[in-house]
Amino acid sequence: MLKVNAISAARRRFVKALAGGAAAITAAVSGTARGATGGAEKKKTKRQYGMVIDVRKCIGCHACTVACKSEFGVPLGENRSWVEYTEKGTYPNVGRSFLPRLCNHCSEPPCVKVCPTNATYRREQDGIVVIDDGLCIGCKYCIHACPYNARFLNPVTGFADKCDFCIHRVSQGVEPACVNTCVGGARIFGDLSDPGSTVSQLIAKNRVTVLRREMGTLPNVYYIGADHTDEIDASRPELRQVHVITHRKQTKRR
Amino acid sequence: MAHELNWGMPVILYLFLAGVGAGTVTVSASVLLRGGGGGFGGRHFAIARYGALIGPLPVIIGTSLLVFELGRPFRALNLFKLINLSPMNIGSWFLGLFIVVSVLYALLFLPWPPIIWDRLQPWRKALAWICIPLGIGVALYTGIMLGAMPSRPFWNSPILALLFLVSALSTGIALIIFAQAMLYEPPPDNPAAEKRFHQSGYLLTASDLILIGFELMVIFLFIMFAYLTVGNVKYAVAVILPGGDLAAAFWLWVVVVGLLIPIIIELIYVVPKLLYHRDYESSRTADMVISLAVLAGGFMLRYVVVIAGQVTGPVGL
Repeated sequence: MLKVNAISAARRRFVKALAGGAAAITAAVSGTARGATGGAEKKKTKRQYGMVIDVRKCIGCHACTVACKSEFGVPLGENRSWVEYTEKGTYPNVGRSFLPRLCNHCSEPPCVKVCPTNATYRREQDGIVVIDDGLCIGCKYCIHACPYNARFLNPVTGFADKCDFCIHRVSQGVEPACVNTCVGGARIFGDLSDPGSTVSQLIAKNRVTVLRREMGTLPNVYYIGADHTDEIDASRPELRQVHVITHRKQTKRR
Repeated sequence: MAHELNWGMPVILYLFLAGVGAGTVTVSASVLLRGGGGGFGGRHFAIARYGALIGPLPVIIGTSLLVFELGRPFRALNLFKLINLSPMNIGSWFLGLFIVVSVLYALLFLPWPPIIWDRLQPWRKALAWICIPLGIGVALYTGIMLGAMPSRPFWNSPILALLFLVSALSTGIALIIFAQAMLYEPPPDNPAAEKRFHQSGYLLTASDLILIGFELMVIFLFIMFAYLTVGNVKYAVAVILPGGDLAAAFWLWVVVVGLLIPIIIELIYVVPKLLYHRDYESSRTADMVISLAVLAGGFMLRYVVVIAGQVTGPVGL
């Protein structure tokens, strides 16, 4: 009995020390990216950045596309972030909806699993999936593995490229370029692991969807009011016609 | 089609050439170790030698294509800075080791002076034992690599790797048959050598027959299960079913030219010996037709699979 008590006391001391250390790290980290997380609680060391896209507020103006292009100088024909238009129905019963797209920064990223050089990985501290140009060999395996077609081969560098949630801005406490520029406030960025953040509140209070949920990738980009109609639905009698428009070089969703 | 082909002809050629080369060396090593006594003077030593000498070439050519396709060839060295569980990483290690070992294996079959030639025999056997697992690894990993992605429903099948392995061994045998038909000079007035030539021909043709039969079975299973599914895989496999964009390439080239024509010719030659114990008589023309058809079919299989996987994707969003 005595021995057990001694052990549990030791364990308690250890846990306490661990918690103290964690708190110290949190305090050190929390200075950064406060603006982006919208006043995160200062108890965690790990974040999970994510985005909510309120499609009801999107007007399809492509401001996010352009902001992203100019932020990174993305080569012609390629996009890290883009907007798709989906037209459906036959006259006079027609509809058009917008779907802003970007890398979903999945919690189970298939691109990371297949990378042969560990050039692409999910950052432990904030859940952002990044590409290390120093290791990438341009084999294009990850481009195939992504079910969202979010990756492309940068024709200038020859390496795989994609959205990185504007890591250089976010680490300085500034919102990503697409979020900053969105005229309707349709894109909201923040820390999903913080229950008080705007994104967490939006997800809790609204009906949200993610893209290709059945792939099991656990995306961290959520949509409110997204129309998931795809070209495959054109065969359905109530729609008859579905047309997905994108200005990307790869004009088809796949 | 508005689809961008990220993996184009260099990759298709690599998948084909690496499969052929790995298959050739694996078959050569198997024949050397277990092909009727083996060893110098063993009945089938000649075909083991053909395979050993030719096998590494296609693998090296294919790998060079692949490395130069990257745009920055020296970047490929990054693959060997670490080991992870990506099929491409494990495959690269297999490929690198295979090239080294198979080149050494081939060097042992060069026309050395007789004194050295006999002493090399234990080394040939030792390297043959290493070549077989490495060759199977190289032939298999390309299928595992394509099959590893749920976002590519056409490829995402466990049977694809098996299909590639069987096709690699079959095309490997075809390359040895082709080499034998091209290079073999029957020595005059030597019935024993003549007999050995026909026995080797029978071994190769009968093995190829079994492999092609197996390959037809694997293709049947692949298509049947895809057809019976609803969803992503069904829509993906529709491109090779009648009416699909790749149907002609698949059914005419892969199935008819690559599998049915060779299997019928092989049956005509093999059945008399198999059923009625007549002497097998190989014909140079038939061997040429069989081997070229199998090789063409093997290439078209890689072509159809690589293209089909890229022009199809998951349905719905």
